[in-house]
Amino acid sequence: MSTRSRTDRPTLRVDRVACTGHGVCATLLPGSIRLDEWGYPVVLTAAEDGVDDGDEARAAAVRWCPALALYADRSS
Amino acid sequence: MNLVDVLEQSGLTGRGGAAFSTATKVRAAHEHGAGLLVNACDGEIGAVKDAFVVEHHLPELVRGATLVAGTRVRYAAHRGSATEARLRAAGLDVLAAPARYVSSEETSLISLAQGGLARPMTKRQPFVRGGSDSAGRRITPTVVLNAETVWRIAQVVERPDGAQWFRGHGLPDEPGPRLVAIGGAVPRPGVVETAAGVPLAALLGAAGADPGRTGPVIVGGLGGTVLRPDEAARVTWSRAGLAPLGGAPGPGVVHVLDAQACPVDALAAWFDHAAGESAGQCGPCMFGLPAIASDWHDLADGVRAGGSGSVSSRGARARLARRAESVRGRGACRFPDGVAGLASSALRALSDHLDDHARGQCVPGRTPRSSHEHALAH
Ligand code: SF4
Ligand code: SF4
Repeated sequence: MSTRSRTDRPTLRVDRVACTGHGVCATLLPGSIRLDEWGYPVVLTAAEDGVDDGDEARAAAVRWCPALALYADRSS
Repeated sequence: MNLVDVLEQSGLTGRGGAAFSTATKVRAAHEHGAGLLVNACDGEIGAVKDAFVVEHHLPELVRGATLVAGTRVRYAAHRGSATEARLRAAGLDVLAAPARYVSSEETSLISLAQGGLARPMTKRQPFVRGGSDSAGRRITPTVVLNAETVWRIAQVVERPDGAQWFRGHGLPDEPGPRLVAIGGAVPRPGVVETAAGVPLAALLGAAGADPGRTGPVIVGGLGGTVLRPDEAARVTWSRAGLAPLGGAPGPGVVHVLDAQACPVDALAAWFDHAAGESAGQCGPCMFGLPAIASDWHDLADGVRAGGSGSVSSRGARARLARRAESVRGRGACRFPDGVAGLASSALRALSDHLDDHARGQCVPGRTPRSSHEHALAH
C-alpha cells in the first residue's frame, strides 16, 4: 500500500500489531488516513483519493500516535 | 560455483507459498550472517508435504540446511506431530510450535525462536537483517525456509548439473519438481510429486477423483482459491493458469469438496476456522475475519435469516466483497489477504449455489453434519 504522491517521500505505514485504533492519525491526517468500520486506519493511496496532508502534519502524526505504530517506511 | 549462483541458475523459489527467489533469500542470509529456521510445520489446511520431506528425505534436508547456514540451524514443527518426533529422533535442534495456522508463519517462528510468542511480527525491515518486534525486543538475523525448499537446495547442489536437472521440470518461469498434497473428498489422498504446468485434472486423477464430477476444488488452502468443478477439470496448475481465476499454486495443497454436500456450508466452516485462527493482534484481521465469516453465514442462511430472497442476498454479497477488500494488506502477516482472496473466489465460484440459498432451495440442515468435519480434516 503506497501513499507516495508526486513527491519522493517515504511511505507511511502502520505497525498493525502495535496499532490500538485510537484514530489520532486520522484526525491529524484527514486527507490521507481514514478509519475503517472498526476504527482502524486505512492509509489512502492517490488512486483512492488520498490527499497529501503535508510534511508537518505527517511528522506530527508519527510523533503523536499513542502506540508509536505509525512510521515512515524508508526501505521502499 | 557458489551456492547462491547455483540456486540463481536453478530458479528455485520458496515452496511454502510465497514463491520468493531462494537465491535472493540465501544471499541475504549470508550477507547478514543469519541463522536458518527450517519450517516443517505444514501449517496450511491439508498440508502434509513437510511431513513427507522429513519422513522420506531427511538426510538431504539436513545437508541442504547445512549448506545454507552451517551449524546455525533449527527445525520448526508442530508440537506433538510425527514430524517433531522424527526430527528429535534424528538428534536435530527442534523448535516446537503450537499447532495453529499463523504460528507457522515465518515471523511467528522467528518470534518463538527468540523467546517471544508464536505470533506474527510486523516486518519494519526483513528479519534476515535482524531488527526488533513491536514491543522493542531485539531479534537476531534469521532466515526461514520451507522444508521442501531446503530439500530442493540439496538436490540442486548435489546432482550433476543440478540447476539444469531442476530446470528440466515445470515451466521456464516456474521451474522444478514440486510436492502437492491432495485431500478432501478423494479416494486416495496423499502427496504427489509434480511440477507447474500439469493439468489440475491430472492431480485430481492421481488422487483417484473423477475431474469434472467432484465438488468445488480449493487450490492453495485457507488463503487459496475456490474453483468450480468444471474449472478445476480444465485449468492448468501453474501461476499463469490459475491467475485468471484469482489463484496460484501457493503452498501446494489441493482440497476437493464433497460433491454430495453443500459447498456453501463447507466454506462456512472454513471461514469460521479462519476467524478463529486470526492471532488477534491486528484490528483489521481480528474484526474483519469474523465479519467475513458472519457475512458468509448470512448468505448460507438465505431465507431463514428473514431476508427477502435474492435482493438481500445481493446486498450481503456486496458487503462481504467490500469487507474482503478492506482487510487486504492490513495485517502484520498475509493471513487476512489470503482469507480475503478465498472469500472473493468463493463468491464467484459458488455464485449459482448462493442463488439457491437466497431462494431457500438449499436447506443447510439437509447437509450431513459430517461434511463440516470433513472439510477441515487435516
Ligand atoms: S494513531 Fe496510531 S494507534 Fe491510533 S489508529 Fe492511528 S496508527 Fe493506530
Ligand atoms: S494479520 Fe491477523 S493473523 Fe496476521 S498477525 Fe495480524 S492478527 Fe495475526
